[in-house]
Amino acid sequence: MKKNKILSVALAVILSMVFAGCAQDTPSGEQPAEFNFDKDITVVARDSASGTRGAFHEIMKIIVKESDTETDKLVVGALEFDGTDKVITAVEGDKYGIGYISLGSVSDRIKAVAVNSAEPTVENVRDGSYSVSRPFLLVTKGTENDLVKDFLKFTESAQGQAVANEMKFIGAVDSTEEYTSSGMSGTIKVAGSTSVTPLMEKLQEGYRELNPDVTFEMQSNGSSQGIKAALDGSYDIGMSSRELKEEEASELNRRVLAIDGIAVIVNKENPKSDLASEDITNIYTGKITKWSEVK
Amino acid sequence: MDRRLNNLKQRKVKSVLLKSFVWLCGILTVGVLIYILLFILLRGIPKINLVFLFGEYNSETLSAFSSIVATIQMIFLSLIISVPIGVFCAIYLAEYAKRGSIAVKIIRLATDTLAGIPSIVYGLFGMIFFVNILGFRASVLSGVCTISIMILPVIISSSEEAVKSVPDTYREGSLGLGATRIHTVFRIVLPTAMPGILSGVILAIGRIVGETAALIFTSGTNVMKNPTLDLLSSQRTLAIHMYMLAGEGLPHSKDMAFATGAILILIVFTVNYTTTKLAGRIGRIQ
Amino acid sequence: MQNTKKSNFDEKIMQAIFFLSALISVLAVIAICLFLFMRGIPAIAEIGFMDFIFNEKWGPTNKPASYGILSMIAGSIYVTAGAIVIGVPVGLMCAIFLAEFCPDNVYKIVKPAVNLLAGIPSIIYGFFGMEAIVPFVRENLGGNGYGIMSASIILGIMILPTIISISESSIRAVPKSYGEGSYGLGATKEETVFNVIVPAAKSGVLTSIILGVGRAAGETMAVVMVAGNAVMPLDKIELLKPIRTLTANIVTEMSYASGLHESALISTGVVLFVFIIILNISLSLIKSKAQRN
Repeated sequence: MKKNKILSVALAVILSMVFAGCAQDTPSGEQPAEFNFDKDITVVARDSASGTRGAFHEIMKIIVKESDTETDKLVVGALEFDGTDKVITAVEGDKYGIGYISLGSVSDRIKAVAVNSAEPTVENVRDGSYSVSRPFLLVTKGTENDLVKDFLKFTESAQGQAVANEMKFIGAVDSTEEYTSSGMSGTIKVAGSTSVTPLMEKLQEGYRELNPDVTFEMQSNGSSQGIKAALDGSYDIGMSSRELKEEEASELNRRVLAIDGIAVIVNKENPKSDLASEDITNIYTGKITKWSEVK
Repeated sequence: MDRRLNNLKQRKVKSVLLKSFVWLCGILTVGVLIYILLFILLRGIPKINLVFLFGEYNSETLSAFSSIVATIQMIFLSLIISVPIGVFCAIYLAEYAKRGSIAVKIIRLATDTLAGIPSIVYGLFGMIFFVNILGFRASVLSGVCTISIMILPVIISSSEEAVKSVPDTYREGSLGLGATRIHTVFRIVLPTAMPGILSGVILAIGRIVGETAALIFTSGTNVMKNPTLDLLSSQRTLAIHMYMLAGEGLPHSKDMAFATGAILILIVFTVNYTTTKLAGRIGRIQ
Repeated sequence: MQNTKKSNFDEKIMQAIFFLSALISVLAVIAICLFLFMRGIPAIAEIGFMDFIFNEKWGPTNKPASYGILSMIAGSIYVTAGAIVIGVPVGLMCAIFLAEFCPDNVYKIVKPAVNLLAGIPSIIYGFFGMEAIVPFVRENLGGNGYGIMSASIILGIMILPTIISISESSIRAVPKSYGEGSYGLGATKEETVFNVIVPAAKSGVLTSIILGVGRAAGETMAVVMVAGNAVMPLDKIELLKPIRTLTANIVTEMSYASGLHESALISTGVVLFVFIIILNISLSLIKSKAQRN
């Protein structure tokens, strides 16, 4: 009886160690594996709420418009994530991945490629040679109250634009106006794009240093939600990282906060550093499925 | 004779295999738990510092302080609402209701249904009813109302168990001494059932701490720079803080997500430990 | 005399209060049904029942928009089935282990471990899945890691405590006489457990499986982080390819949905709700059948 027990326990322990061993080996695979060009490309996209997606899919003609219809032709099986970091994580971990994120979020976890031979830098976005960019918009409805007006003035002042530039966004307003504290108090409610949020947070911090009696309430739930919140008045300011649609633009005041480049990212082990925008379109619509098909 | 011996051998082999498989599964379960815990704790605990726990939230610190306070508010307020209702309901079912009456059947059906509803559906309901129709907007208040309904079945079932297991002799003794039923319930039955009720409360706390889907649309994802007690403000709880950090693009957000996870796990540890201790006390009373 | 009158009155009041508290659960369920259906049913009507349930094209931002959730229904089914395939065998074996084979000192370790597993928040499971399971699947099993396989593994782990604790209770509840009879006939312990005791606990085990199904089908956060959230046409669904479940659909799109889109997501919630009700009814049927036996 005792022998049986020992035998069974030993078997069990060995088997579980094998399992644990397998799992331990993988995350930091130090194999200098080669890049297999015949593997399928892992296409990573943002969720449909995302202004980044809206902008990228429009610029890259992934959204096809014909007369009355508008169809998003993202390839079937593309991964969709509701956050910048999740896109980065997916591309960081997958050698054959490709994704798109705000230029301001690029870090050394992944590699941002040049598009049509233009490097993804702030200068290239500013002079237009890097074509993949979209405006960060702040939208409000009707006449804004004094507090909101004051904050917006701050965002467009020299200090506000300096914050934007520090974060690798392109200030939209070449303003030399210095903002001076108005000493106001109250709450400003902001909602919208997750891409604009980091910039908005820094702006809020800067504003609060000068006007400590003001508090902010912010929801980061996507450009479309921000626009909706501004439209129905539940929030003072909506943040959007995509252009407004006609129906939206007709009812809202639109201010460009900054210009943001969208970086196309691939895994660090991917030998490609320059992609033609045609190839990007074809990858995202499924006409190209392997890295070997990319010129 | 030979066939019977062979058969015995086969059966013995089968038995050993089954036994090792059973042991394997037991060890596997524990192994998986340990792996998950270590995975999060090893990467998360080093990142926990005083600023993260008690500092102001900004894009550098990604502090969890206001989320922690929001979570505590949520727990406290939801319990204030659900515990009395749940315990009273349990008292009704255990002390006053006639066995097998229609009322009891309906109430049990309702409680079982509530227990099985996925948290995302609670979130949707909370969004429709509390946020929109009642106009509470995305706020701690909406979250509290939604969570109170969600934990009701947990409180009810553990309280009912606890009340039912109070020996009848206690009740009879009390009534025999001339006390009223109410008196008996409040002075004798409830205190005796307290450990069981408490363990239900603690289970509920565990659930609240871990809840995300029900709160994303009701109390929202907003994070305040400093903790506030304003019920009408939208505030994210600790679990939602972790979810948001897991998705943000800042270079250190993932590290802080691990840190938040570590805090959550430590809370769950404490919750479980307390429940086990209480369960021990109940055992001793029986 | 007056004292008795007053205490009678108090009694009646308290009894009423207790009863009303009990009614609150019923009220809550009615309210949930009411408001969900109120927003969801008209949306289903507007989209068209067949178009909603049986169309695999989900494209709410397209013009014209399409709202078919068939792909997500398939996704939920596959992922739940996967969770059952992974979670039930391990869970049941572990329950048998705890109930029949486990020495006392080991019990003190394994049982609290199971309880701890039960208490871990789903966001932690999801995060763990994204950081550990997805790379594991990607490197050892193929695909890009996000998909049905990873979701099933994570969900399988999540339903373990449910399966284990309920199955263990029902196995322990089997009368000792069953086992003794079997031993008397010369069976080994393992044969007794597997051929006599566990089958006798059938209804409890079945209950645990159904509750596990409910838990897996309703899980949101863990799935949304590991399943990839791609809307797949039915003929392209594969184990190692990404998938979107009903729950993930709601959480991913609700933040920006408005109008019919928002109502369509609430209708998805209604579908989930109805599914849970059906599960509950099957559960009560099994329980009453067991009682009759």
